[in-house]
Amino acid sequence: MGTLKQKSLFVLIARLVLAGVFVMAALPKLQDPVAFATSVADFRIIGPEHSAWVALGLPWLELVIGIGILLPQIRRTSGALIGLLLALFIGLHCSAWARGLDISCGCFGAETGETGSDYRWLMARNIVLLLAVALVLRQDLRNKREALGSN
Amino acid sequence: MSRLLREFSIIALLTCIGAAFSLFNGLAPLPWVEPDLPAGEIRLVDARVLNVLWIDARGEDAYQQGHIPDAIQLNEDNWDDGIFTLMDAWLGNPRPIIVYCSSARCGTSSRVAERLRDALPAAEIYSLHGGWDAWVH
Repeated sequence: MGTLKQKSLFVLIARLVLAGVFVMAALPKLQDPVAFATSVADFRIIGPEHSAWVALGLPWLELVIGIGILLPQIRRTSGALIGLLLALFIGLHCSAWARGLDISCGCFGAETGETGSDYRWLMARNIVLLLAVALVLRQDLRNKREALGSN
Repeated sequence: MSRLLREFSIIALLTCIGAAFSLFNGLAPLPWVEPDLPAGEIRLVDARVLNVLWIDARGEDAYQQGHIPDAIQLNEDNWDDGIFTLMDAWLGNPRPIIVYCSSARCGTSSRVAERLRDALPAAEIYSLHGGWDAWVH
């Protein structure tokens, strides 16, 4: 019983951390989408004309799924989308690192003084968050199975 | 499956509403409108306050007729020679590099700047908005 409560507590903490990180990442980008568009273009994966669309939509998606992971109505899909975004960010950082780009990651907006070239730290951070997503999704899956089993 | 689809639809709808809110309130520029200053370009007024390395991407004749003081001539025709001169200057004193060509309509500076970004990934590289015309006027 105690172990079960402990596990639930870990999952709750993981949810809160993920929500906090994604909401905190979204707010500065919503305030300065132009600077975020420049950060996106700096990765040289997509052109400036497409980076403006990313800068318009991605911060709102981060905000919605950041809050959504706490809401029972949309928490499973929010968790899955957070996982997909984190995997995408890890891929982008790997690509930028391999190409020797010395850029700010733009993860929390442009004016946070991030050390963009420290790709190891960025990837380690995202991998830890990805593990938290795995924990949350596993718990959601278990809850779903239990609900189906009791019906 | 249908529940996942429903959740995804809710998230997509909320995201679209948020993006529309940003557009209608002027928080974000319209993505389909070309910005005043394209990415990778810098205005002369901003360039003047920086200690920069100037790259003249125009032809030999135009360079001989006049250029920004201490500008290094480098374009697609003399790339192999010019890049060594640039490397020497930049490695001795790393600073932002600004490439210019003749006017706002020429595309040479953007192409040279793009090629330089591959050759010198650690450097901060811009092309000058308005080119040589902006400097002269």
